[in-house]
Amino acid sequence: MVSFRPMSSALTAARRVVVGLNGGPTDALVVRTACELVRGTKGSLAGVHIVEIDWSHDLSEDIASDNETAATVLDMAETLADKAGCRLETTLLQARDVGAALVDEAVALGADLIIVGLPFRKKFGGDFAIGRTVPYVLQNAPCEVLVLREPIADQAARGREPGVAVGAGLGASDRI
Amino acid sequence: MTSTTPDPDQTGAGPETPEQLTGRKPGDRRVRVERPHTLLFRYSAPGVLVARDKAHEGRSSGQRLLARTKAVLIGRPLASEEEATERLSKKKALPIFSSDAISSSAYATEEIVRVLVFGGVAALLLSVEVALAIALLLALVAFSYRQVVYAYPAGGGSYTVSKYNFGRTASLVAASALLIDYVLTVSVSTSSAVEQLSSAVPAIHGFSVLLGVSAIALITLANLRGIREAGNIFAVPTYLFVVSALLMIGIGVYRIVVLGEGADYAPVIAQQSADTLQAVSALLLIRAFAAGSVALTGTEAIATGVPAFQPPESRNAARTLMVMALLLGVLFVGITFLATNFGITHQDGPGGKTVLAQVAAVVYGAGTVPFYLFQLFTALILFLAANTSFNAFPRLAAILAQDGFMPRQFAFRGDRLAFSLGIVVLGVVAASLVVVFQGQTHLLIPLYAVGVFIDFTISQAGMVRHWLTERPRGYIYRLAINATGCAVTGTVAVVVTAAKAPTSLIVIVLIPCLVALMRFIHHEYRETAQQLALRPDQIIEPPHRRERVIVPVPNISRPVVQAINFGRSIADDVRAVHVTDDADTANAMRAAWERQIPGVPLIIVESPYRSLVVPFLAYLDVVAPEDDEVITIVIVPEYVASHWWERVLYNQTSNRVRRALIGRPHTVVTSLPYRREQP
Repeated sequence: MVSFRPMSSALTAARRVVVGLNGGPTDALVVRTACELVRGTKGSLAGVHIVEIDWSHDLSEDIASDNETAATVLDMAETLADKAGCRLETTLLQARDVGAALVDEAVALGADLIIVGLPFRKKFGGDFAIGRTVPYVLQNAPCEVLVLREPIADQAARGREPGVAVGAGLGASDRI
Repeated sequence: MTSTTPDPDQTGAGPETPEQLTGRKPGDRRVRVERPHTLLFRYSAPGVLVARDKAHEGRSSGQRLLARTKAVLIGRPLASEEEATERLSKKKALPIFSSDAISSSAYATEEIVRVLVFGGVAALLLSVEVALAIALLLALVAFSYRQVVYAYPAGGGSYTVSKYNFGRTASLVAASALLIDYVLTVSVSTSSAVEQLSSAVPAIHGFSVLLGVSAIALITLANLRGIREAGNIFAVPTYLFVVSALLMIGIGVYRIVVLGEGADYAPVIAQQSADTLQAVSALLLIRAFAAGSVALTGTEAIATGVPAFQPPESRNAARTLMVMALLLGVLFVGITFLATNFGITHQDGPGGKTVLAQVAAVVYGAGTVPFYLFQLFTALILFLAANTSFNAFPRLAAILAQDGFMPRQFAFRGDRLAFSLGIVVLGVVAASLVVVFQGQTHLLIPLYAVGVFIDFTISQAGMVRHWLTERPRGYIYRLAINATGCAVTGTVAVVVTAAKAPTSLIVIVLIPCLVALMRFIHHEYRETAQQLALRPDQIIEPPHRRERVIVPVPNISRPVVQAINFGRSIADDVRAVHVTDDADTANAMRAAWERQIPGVPLIIVESPYRSLVVPFLAYLDVVAPEDDEVITIVIVPEYVASHWWERVLYNQTSNRVRRALIGRPHTVVTSLPYRREQP
């Protein structure tokens, strides 16, 4: 038997959800989960993909508009959302720091929930490389944050649900 | 989120510097990036764009108006992913696939009566026996197709079966016969439906052709809208007809058998046919049998639609086929039994009623509500039978087009996911037949059953070959069923053709014509494909040939300058050619040319006989002979007409030059339109 903790009321009542899209394998999971959440609340959904610009270029320089990879990330997320029966408004950003830009955009959009994915890297035995972005979002977002980890192959094979970490600007301690 | 070191080719500031948005912390900046493609396209994978609705919109006001009109008439365009993939239960499949077959019972009895009346009352009394013989044939065909359903779960139309077992020619014969049958199903069913209506309301008899053509036009339009055959639209009228017809037969049989009611044929029948009375000969009975065998049309529909059934597809299809055959047999024999015992024969001319309508009038009472309802149900199932062909004909045409036997346009789906061209062609041909045969069912029938039985025969012969090749366990029993089916349907095909000659011979001539046409189309496509194909091992290197640009110039104007500049951007060797019959004007033009467009040589070709195009072509032959290694690019400057009437005034010479150059070796023709800026 698998028991689940009750979801945070902020999750079930989220009316404005911002999903961070990284073009990785977690995007589909993030979008589907977000659709499930907003379907219950009739809320709106925004997808954000951020192209990190190094310091050799001016931030205002148009780099991402011709970037096919970035466009594909957002468009495929839109398609996934369409199939899940919800509408995803997408935004492409250029920024120096992905985490800061995601949080700032979520604030600008009035989000009450940010959902991000955490990919599993299979090299060297496999590990969740949490990187800089997820900790930044967890620590700085003024709203609820949902981190969805990529299913590990053998867990997925045993039929377990992907893990969920819930935070409220407090860090990753709530991870289950 | 992507970390990017930008590709220098993809960078470059746009016309406006985007605004930097500040974050909550000092130094946090972000820039929203416009994605110009999103309005028109959506990426489905890197390098793969999917056009959005907006990309399909017309560019001009005329195109947009046309699109709006189409949307009103046939509905908004549907995306491919919106195609319904519903599987059918037996209850739903029965009306969908059986409306064609079951509706045959509405006119099959009448066809028997029309023949037997020449033998007088004695012959008419044999109607039931003839109907029973046809019912027996129906049972044999149904059992034969039951084998097809199990052997070809992916759909076993006679085209498919013959393609796998006999090859191209036989399959094309089957396809041709099927196409003809589908057209005739529409014509016959619609004509018969109108006759049923006019039997109930004689006042509309004079408008039979108009009503028939209008009905076909409506069905065509409905199918262009992409109506779903899986809809309840089929179920209700089919079941209403079946139930009301079974009720009619039940009441009629009760009155005849239990109450002893019934009537003799009117004396006038014997009197009318006295002059042409034939002995009740075997020939007359065979002709009646051939006429009534039209009842079997549509029997093959389930075998072709096996994949549409819910799993287990073959078993469900086989059971539905058996139920359909049983229903058809009962209805056909029952209606014939009632007609015989109530002394009913056909009535032609204004005010005449169909045999079925007369039977209904006797059983339900003429002018009663049940009578009118039954006539309405009969007309509805006949219209639906016509609609069955609107699903089948375009699909078969599309399969033939995909196999290269019909023009490729037949395989293109329209805005509503329907095979629009096939639907339109079917509608036009079927309506033409209704007009030619004045909407009289019995005149169309001789054409009808011939192709059906040819199909049956080819299909059963294919199954015989199938069993002999596959030889699964217990195949002898199956082989026997199909071999018997083949022999009987083959014999009936010959009998039907002979009995309905000379009209039936039209089909016999038409089938080889269609086969020849399809083979010709296939040959053309194959030859062209071979000529255009690349060998798989062929590696295409960049071209080493030089390009030479030649611009025919009528004067010095903005379109000409645009063409010259475009030529300069793609080649170093650019020449302007001016063909004229006026040397003085040409010299003046040269002076102006050298002053205004320096660096581009202007060649004056004087044409004493005032022709413009041919001297230009001759010049090309001189400077760029056909065996030259140089690619000649002829850039034809054109003026974009702003109004329809400007098309008449401008570009006529340009069009002639372009047409004359198409197909010239080593020559590329480019039209360069110049759009005048609006003042």
